[in-house]
Amino acid sequence: MKLSGWSLVILSAVASAQGVGPKDLLHPPADSWLNYHGGYSGQRHSGLTEITPGNVGQLQQAWRFQTGQNQQIKSSPILSDGVLYVTTPDNIWAMDARTAKELWHYQNPPNNAFHIGHRGAAVYKDTVYLTTPDCHLIALSAKNGTVKWDVMIADSNKGYWSTNAPLIVGNHVLVGVSGDFDNLPGQLKSVDADTGKTQWIFYSTPPPGATEPHSGGATGGQMWTTGTYDPDLNLVYVGTGNPTPVLNGEARPGDNPWTCSIVALNPDTGKLVWGFQASPHDTHDWDANEVPVLVDADFKGQPRKLLMQASRNGYFFVLDRTNGKSLLTAPFATVNWAKGIDSEGHPIPDPAKYPSKSGVLVAPNESGATNFRPPSFDPKTGLLVVSAQDGYGIYFFKSEHGAYGWAGADYAVGGKAFLRAIDYRTGKIAWNHPIGEGAGAAGVLTTETGLTFSGDVTGNVMALRTSDGSTLWHEAIGRMGNAPITYELDGREYLVVGGGSSLYAFSLPKGEQP
Amino acid sequence: MKQAIWILTVALIGGIAGAQGPEGPSVSQAKGAIRGPAQSPASLPGPQTMTPQTYPVEQIQAGRLRFTSQCGFCHGRDTAGGETGPDLTRSKLVAEDVRGDEIGPVLRQGRPERGMPSFDLKDTDLGEIVAFIHDQKTRLEALGGGRRSVDAVDLASGDATAGRRYFNGTGGCSGCHSATGDLAGVASRYEGLALLQRMLYPGSGLAPARPKVTLSLPTGQTLVAPLASEDEFTIVALDPAGARQTYEKNAVKFRIDNSLSAHFDQLGKYTDDDMHNVFAYLDTLK
Repeated sequence: MKLSGWSLVILSAVASAQGVGPKDLLHPPADSWLNYHGGYSGQRHSGLTEITPGNVGQLQQAWRFQTGQNQQIKSSPILSDGVLYVTTPDNIWAMDARTAKELWHYQNPPNNAFHIGHRGAAVYKDTVYLTTPDCHLIALSAKNGTVKWDVMIADSNKGYWSTNAPLIVGNHVLVGVSGDFDNLPGQLKSVDADTGKTQWIFYSTPPPGATEPHSGGATGGQMWTTGTYDPDLNLVYVGTGNPTPVLNGEARPGDNPWTCSIVALNPDTGKLVWGFQASPHDTHDWDANEVPVLVDADFKGQPRKLLMQASRNGYFFVLDRTNGKSLLTAPFATVNWAKGIDSEGHPIPDPAKYPSKSGVLVAPNESGATNFRPPSFDPKTGLLVVSAQDGYGIYFFKSEHGAYGWAGADYAVGGKAFLRAIDYRTGKIAWNHPIGEGAGAAGVLTTETGLTFSGDVTGNVMALRTSDGSTLWHEAIGRMGNAPITYELDGREYLVVGGGSSLYAFSLPKGEQP
Repeated sequence: MKQAIWILTVALIGGIAGAQGPEGPSVSQAKGAIRGPAQSPASLPGPQTMTPQTYPVEQIQAGRLRFTSQCGFCHGRDTAGGETGPDLTRSKLVAEDVRGDEIGPVLRQGRPERGMPSFDLKDTDLGEIVAFIHDQKTRLEALGGGRRSVDAVDLASGDATAGRRYFNGTGGCSGCHSATGDLAGVASRYEGLALLQRMLYPGSGLAPARPKVTLSLPTGQTLVAPLASEDEFTIVALDPAGARQTYEKNAVKFRIDNSLSAHFDQLGKYTDDDMHNVFAYLDTLK
């Protein structure tokens, strides 16, 4: 009798140890949020239907989790097997998603890399993957947070740091790093999910020691945001960062590929299949790291495999994701830096707006027309809802600034923030919802019932009607640092969002019928 | 009675405006890049440390770790400026600081209106950061650093006469401003980059200008107050004591007199030459 009791326990332990499988990542169950985007497409759109425009006004706080730390939550939480994982730089907490009670907390030792934010963890099988500011990738037991292995993905002493939420494709853990203050090659590493062994490295600019004439001597192009994946084409899409030196373009003539680009990579080999440059020869820190959103839809009457990106430089791009060819390029925010669009859909930078000794007035400003905050695509309306900014900055470069790292100076002088809905078919703005001065910090989530969840500059989480941008609900929770997520647990839909250093869950009142 | 309240309110607000208005620096504003008429010419290096201080090597080293990880992204690993934060080695506040008496309050309270968060620091942690900043300032001054700086002479590419023409003509600046009125002596109060930022958008940079909000309360009372912040749902105004008061938008009538929006609109109209010319003109108003 006793024996059979033990075997039951062991059986259930084995079952949960299998955890998240490749099929779950391809088709995430309703009671999960398994990667940064909540799926491979980057649409950040949920099929859940309990919360509707009619009842969203009744949302109530279900629980609140406080990290007890200074650092703001800027991560997308992960939900797997009823456990939520949330991160800040050097920290990850696992909590019971029903009660917000802490299950375990892992803390990386103090280090001198930048602690500016962290975008979240990744899960696969029974392992949770965490990048650290000092560029380690740590595999933790999902059950108790013990370290399975710990590998260095880049040398933080050279100036790399990491905020990256890894992307898991098959047995590959794809991890990127940041590094704008030093002239460092852009690297994305694929690590074996079981062993931590490096499988391949993709360099967006030539690796140390390599000579490659097309790059023009540029370094940079860091891939610090989470990519997307098309399983049918077996292609991973990643946005690459700005070139270094950042504001000094004289030191790196030419277009500087593959900086400020969307690159399509084979996840098994790391080989480049195609690349599209959103900002050739960038001199304004406008990386193209924003989410490459994958959509299967008609474009000009043809069914297409599309990729769309609202890029930091103020342009909205629609590409054919099978080959990287441009279908549409249109500004979605105030821009004054391009002379036009070339025949292949790239904006043509105006040399008159390169940083100069006495300064030039440029739109957008350095924080960009958008940034890390992820957008969301609503398939019903065909709208990509983006946290956008119309802003201006002044940009300076003189030879004394040199050719290392930032190599110049720039200052934002004014900006206005909006949630902005772009119609992918035309690039036209369907609606524009002001959210305050400066730039927003919240990403966007849309749901199947026509709801858009995001936040404003002052710290309200909001629900808007996706079709027209009108406000349906709000609650002041403190400044948001990433997009809300949603999932269903025990038959109820939850909205989970970070405000300040707390994580909040909202749901409809118990007994409320949709 | 209503009129009496109005007058009293206006008088009190007037007092605040006098201290915090766009062109009247208060005591707390007499920091950073705002200079007094007798101060050094623009092209000279940043302010020198007023009270020389030394710190133990261990404290400086501990401060380096803390500063790099928490402050370095914005202010640069070497304190000489980063992605969004200014060069601390050229900060007047740092130059005047003695063992954290000026830096400490800024770190602990932050400067939210300029994007700087507050930091919850123990005294020992704060002391380490302060030690590192002072040590870096001494080192970089010895090197003659400032490689990420914008000097006032760099900005002197404009034509003051053309700037004056633009100011009084196409630019429409004279619709709100006057060289002998509100802008008299403006170049004595702000210099170089600070003057340029102030000119382009007084709502950012040091001592941001505040729009005025007129509130009609359910009690029948009318208030005119500086607007501290606004979102879709609330108005936050400064009361005569400078404290923030929150009003639900659906419970009051309000009107915001935002002359700043004209500055924002102008950003889309300036050519770079216009910008440099108007700057050159304002720089003559000493």
